[in-house]
Amino acid sequence: MEFLSDAVVLSRMQFALTAIFHMLWPVLTTGMAIYLVIVEGLWVKTRKPEYYHHARFWSKLYVLNFGIGVASGLPMEFQFGTNWAPFSEAVGDFFGSILGFEASMAFMLEAGFLGIMLFGWSRVPPIVHYLATIMVAFGANLSTFWILVANSWLQTPAGGDFINGKFVVADYFQAILNPFMVNSVLHMFFATLETSLFVIGGISAWYMLKRRHTAFFAMSFKIVLAAAIAVTPIQIAIGHLSAEQVRHYQPSKLAAMEAQWEDIPAGSTADWSLVSLPSNKTESNRFEIKVPQGLGYVLEFKSTLSEPIRGLKSWSQRDRPHAIGLIYYAFRIMSGIGFALAGLMLVSVVQWLRGKLVAGAIADQKWLLRGWLFAAPLGYIAVESGWIVRCVGRQPWTVYGELRTADMASNLPAGEILASLTGFAVLYSVLFVTTLYFASRIIVKGPNLELPIPAVALKPGVEIEPADHEPNRRPTEAQQ
Amino acid sequence: MDALQHFLPQVWFVILGLFLFLYITLDGFDLGVGILSLTASTEARRSILMTSLGNVWDANETWLVLMGGALFGAFPLAYGTILTALYIPAVVMIVGLILRAVAFEFRENADRKTIWNLAFGIGSFLAALGQGFALGSVFEGIRVDGAGHFVGGIWDWLSWRSILVALTLIQGYVLIGSTYLVMKTTDGLQQTYVKTAKLAALTTLAGAIFITTSTPIFYEQVRLHLFSPPLLYVFGAIPVLGLLLVGLLWRSLTRGEERSPFVWTVLIFLLSFLGLGLIIFPYVIPPSITIYQAAASPSSLVFMIIFMGFLIPIMLFYNIYNYVVFRGKVTEAHD
Repeated sequence: MEFLSDAVVLSRMQFALTAIFHMLWPVLTTGMAIYLVIVEGLWVKTRKPEYYHHARFWSKLYVLNFGIGVASGLPMEFQFGTNWAPFSEAVGDFFGSILGFEASMAFMLEAGFLGIMLFGWSRVPPIVHYLATIMVAFGANLSTFWILVANSWLQTPAGGDFINGKFVVADYFQAILNPFMVNSVLHMFFATLETSLFVIGGISAWYMLKRRHTAFFAMSFKIVLAAAIAVTPIQIAIGHLSAEQVRHYQPSKLAAMEAQWEDIPAGSTADWSLVSLPSNKTESNRFEIKVPQGLGYVLEFKSTLSEPIRGLKSWSQRDRPHAIGLIYYAFRIMSGIGFALAGLMLVSVVQWLRGKLVAGAIADQKWLLRGWLFAAPLGYIAVESGWIVRCVGRQPWTVYGELRTADMASNLPAGEILASLTGFAVLYSVLFVTTLYFASRIIVKGPNLELPIPAVALKPGVEIEPADHEPNRRPTEAQQ
Repeated sequence: MDALQHFLPQVWFVILGLFLFLYITLDGFDLGVGILSLTASTEARRSILMTSLGNVWDANETWLVLMGGALFGAFPLAYGTILTALYIPAVVMIVGLILRAVAFEFRENADRKTIWNLAFGIGSFLAALGQGFALGSVFEGIRVDGAGHFVGGIWDWLSWRSILVALTLIQGYVLIGSTYLVMKTTDGLQQTYVKTAKLAALTTLAGAIFITTSTPIFYEQVRLHLFSPPLLYVFGAIPVLGLLLVGLLWRSLTRGEERSPFVWTVLIFLLSFLGLGLIIFPYVIPPSITIYQAAASPSSLVFMIIFMGFLIPIMLFYNIYNYVVFRGKVTEAHD
């Protein structure tokens, strides 16, 4: 239990713990916000009550996750100061500004319009409400943008130089447009969208399996499926482009992702490892199942590699990641899920084309619906795995190739961090379990299809009746 | 260039001051209502309290996130040093804010509400407590080396003076929470909060008087800073104005006015805030590191002003719009 007295290890554990838990909530709400924009848009356009009830039902799950997402995200920002003070000082000029932009442009936009989106149905005209929903979705995705700008800059620092250990920005736009930025933002954008789509699809499948509101949920299922046709293949393509960039900019991470210990010269072929037991001690894989000549196909779609690949051994122990097995398997889990979800989409589309997904027959597609139910949590697992590859794979660097994580931790007594780490671990576990509990209650309860449709021609700033606010519950207009 | 290096940190000091003031005022009434919810006599009353915050708590809390991000970007050294020094108060505040935020969502869906009621009230109290200690110890000074890195111990933030500041801040939050509820409620409930407002006005005033008189006695640096013209006149005026405002607040509460108590409270907050700002300026890590030493590079500060500066009016606009949409009373249902 030596690590319990190591402040750096404890700070890393605390950051990892809060990040892994926090991620669970916004990854759903960011994507689901776009879904809500789509269904509310359909309602504004067609005035079909079903779309309105869709918007209301899914926003119940949305707000549950949103509130917890906000709360669980707070420690993330403050930890840069509390636990990583030398880091804050070294890169604050750029990194801090970006977090400031995230708060002012994105987060504030989302929070500022959320009240209207949730409780304003009968207080503002539909078009203003729709605008609020769009702003919430826009703000959420702008958050993704800025966070990924900041994180991809840590991976591929650009736009200035480190002078005496402090980053001095020469060109902000170059720093923002760092080499990883575009792919990282897109990969995460589609990850949130894909996760949400399969959660919504999975819950819809559950209702149809139970034969509750089949027609209603066939609707959301088809919206989800139509979106998945586009999203799942794009995500695989962007994932591939990201891996190519890792190969180019972060060779030590690529070596860890493939558990590749030896150098591979250009022009040769190499096997692609499917399962293995990497060992830091022996600097080799103890057991391995390989796909012959596979690595070239995985990276370049041909058998020979046109450029050499550096093996882990070509770095000294202190300059390469240590958790090889974790990175290796996290990468396989992420990409495996990416393909599995695309496969599920393909099978579903085939059934759709065969006319099996009409409202009357869809509930009979039991194996397909069970597949969707099973797929509901997979997006989360893929996102978590992806971030593990991204950030554990970057070690031992905080800023790749420039600042070592070990030098960036605040000089704090280990006991103090251990106490807060324990507190966060307990608190986040409780939050996780309670969210699942309350989400399942919302789902079991089901949508309220009797909910009155708000009047179409509503004057802006209508007189506010005191009875609009009811105790014990949200205001009447916010109720399901 | 020299003028720029002086001017830009000052601009950011003011912007950060604005964010902090908006946070303390807006989330102040949120937290105050939360603390008051611990004393609510019935579940129906507690529901009204929480409903009055439903649409605004998240936006109000965001000013803190914004303040944090802006401090990180504009004064990176201060961000690291202050938060490291205030590790325990910061964690207490964060845990409190988390408890409070999740209580809104979970209470809504729960059958048994007691645990979430407690999470809401205790969370609000913890958040206020953490902030109070943070304010008190920044005010008291943070031990740093020549480079501005924290060299103190983990309990440095705890002293009888920081306890006093923390208690006063909590009282202040209860005061602004009470006047907010006077504005948002009716009848018996309103009368309850007229009473708590009066009580909190007295306790806050007592705390403020104690802080105002003890500060020049215990801090030589502040004494020298304050007791020389022209600041002397300003510091002479602030307590006088403060007493006047408390008097006006008292009168408006006695007369049964609904909105003006809140307005007077906001002005009291503003006045206290300006007083504290003037005492601290030009330091960002009192008593030794100034805003000029802790500032990011001028290009960074300019870049942030360009991006954030034009957003401030937009943010204010849609935040105000939110309050306009949900203006009016929150009362019990008639069904």
